[in-house]
Amino acid sequence: MERQQILDLLVTTIVEGDQEKARENSKQALLKQIDPLVAVEEGLSKGMAIVGKRFEQGDAFLPELLMAADAFKAAMEILKPVIASQKREVASAGKVLVGTVKGDIHHIGKDIVITILETRGFTVVDMGVDVPSLTFIEEAQKTKADVIALSAVMSTTMPAQKEVIDILKEKKLRDKYFVIVGGGPVSQRWADNIGADGYGQTAVDAVELVSHLIRKKR
Amino acid sequence: MGNLMDVCERAITGPVMSEKEFDMKVFIPRLNEVVKTYGIRYDRENPVPSDDRAADHLFDAAVEFMTKVGVYCLDTNRVMQFSREEVLTAVKEAPKVCYAGEGKEAGIFGMRKPDDPKNPWLHVGSGIVSSSEEYATNIVEGYASIPEVNSVNIPGLATLRGLPVAAGSPIEFYATIRGLRIGLEGLRRAGRPGLPIMNHHPTPAVAVTAIAASAPQFGCRPTDGWLCGAMAEMKINFDTLNRVAYLLAWGANVGAESGPMLGGLCGGPAGFTLLCTAYLLMGQLVQKGDFHLNFPFHFKHICSSTRDVIWGVSMAIQATSRNIQVPTIWAPYCGAGPNTKMYFYETAAILLAWTTSGAPSIMSPHPAKAVKVDGITPMEAQFAVDMGIAAAKLNRAKANDFVIRLLEKYESQIGTPPEGSRYQDCFDVTTGKPKEEYVRLYHEVKDELSGIGIPF
Repeated sequence: MERQQILDLLVTTIVEGDQEKARENSKQALLKQIDPLVAVEEGLSKGMAIVGKRFEQGDAFLPELLMAADAFKAAMEILKPVIASQKREVASAGKVLVGTVKGDIHHIGKDIVITILETRGFTVVDMGVDVPSLTFIEEAQKTKADVIALSAVMSTTMPAQKEVIDILKEKKLRDKYFVIVGGGPVSQRWADNIGADGYGQTAVDAVELVSHLIRKKR
Repeated sequence: MGNLMDVCERAITGPVMSEKEFDMKVFIPRLNEVVKTYGIRYDRENPVPSDDRAADHLFDAAVEFMTKVGVYCLDTNRVMQFSREEVLTAVKEAPKVCYAGEGKEAGIFGMRKPDDPKNPWLHVGSGIVSSSEEYATNIVEGYASIPEVNSVNIPGLATLRGLPVAAGSPIEFYATIRGLRIGLEGLRRAGRPGLPIMNHHPTPAVAVTAIAASAPQFGCRPTDGWLCGAMAEMKINFDTLNRVAYLLAWGANVGAESGPMLGGLCGGPAGFTLLCTAYLLMGQLVQKGDFHLNFPFHFKHICSSTRDVIWGVSMAIQATSRNIQVPTIWAPYCGAGPNTKMYFYETAAILLAWTTSGAPSIMSPHPAKAVKVDGITPMEAQFAVDMGIAAAKLNRAKANDFVIRLLEKYESQIGTPPEGSRYQDCFDVTTGKPKEEYVRLYHEVKDELSGIGIPF
């Protein structure tokens, strides 16, 4: 099989969300001595970008997004060790910590944000749900995150978004991280009131915001 | 179909798997299989279909889906499974009516069928759109002052004494009982103290607060309704089941609640309509609901007025109203806010579609995607009541024509709807009456809709 054919297969595999084929085609790429970083950038990431675009346009939905992400991760099981052994790493657009705040266990919106961020080349740390405010900050310090993204889907859990920002200020860490907020009852007005750096009404908005903020930082 | 202890037994003995495994290896593939097997297809051209056979077929699909998927318990990481026989028994034993309200306001929330000329149960208000303490009483009084209204939702409080109402804190408890007192005061001022409140409690996030605030000395009546929510999708946790256990032991009305999201785990419109239907089965099997509240919405636009959501819910309402007798509140969201034409157009489209499809009730849609504090007024409730009564005079075919025309008026703006006004901007906060501008707008839109044939 030709080099470009294998890269095209990697794209298709991600779009189809097939984990087994993703592993298999990644092995084929290595056997054909395709640079694993090229396999990621011109194969896997291209596939993720296609699915991400379809999702944004309403032609694909969360299941397709999740299956593509799982296929991407499956392919990376094969390619990442090889990249690491070459003392290289996949270029990242930035590091984002994403989680649902304390007292709230909703996660679907957060999961959509995470998956789209990954399609756009960001490194994402998924903090899960019901995350204490201090834990966000500790993890941001540990992972050297650029952005902390806080989801709250109930009006009674929104105050925890403010709490994270307040604690950052108390610890004199506010300027180290961008903080963005989102979730059902959250609004731009709320984000402004609590001193967040931005608000994403939809997952796509959140990702655009992250891109914009990180570009600003650099 | 067993009691809550049987549900708990399944929660601790069912097959174990991670939540992700349930989503990716059970829920999504089984949903897609059933959609394909039953040939469920989105009909973009007819947001209000008139096909009883398709509706019954959808219900059969939901029964099969329920049998294949079950319900995931987040606390035990196990799947509660139900046989086909058990699902059908739950259908047979469904409540048929819900007795709500007290004294002069005692009512029977019952069923309707597609094209039914009977008026729907008229339910208004919103819990999610948090209100400032100073306006909440006026707002509830306004709801209850609409003579045709059968039940209300009361607002949740965003702050108490200037402090944010934080989940799980004592502030949440105090805010809950304060919100309840405000709601009851509003009902009393309107002269309708027995009107049922169907959304206990809108404020608290956790069961311990909800249960504590439900003690009768704080004002709740067992003929009110409590919302006990599923998690997305087809999941439950002990927090919800604890609420259910308390209410069942008391004999209060359990409202099985669910919020299917088009574009989320169920995918597009076909999977969405199947999920909307299946949730009513889950509500009987797990939450043991005396009624159901389903709040469907579009994942991107966070509203229920998109063409595909209107279609999906119309189908689900037809499927369920023809095949299972669970009094259901289909709780919609509008993109636009109060005091905008678009809100009224969206409301008209939603209520025409769903009422003619056989919805047992109407509910005034949450304005502005339910994110605007104080972004709700009694005027939206009045319009919803007027629309519900008008819609009952129509059939699905007629409603379909109207809905298509209404979609033309607002569909292009669904991505950027007008936020509208806050209560204090379009109502006189002293008298509790709407300002002239809003009254004019209300009449202007009603005249416009009458002009195209809607029978107010």
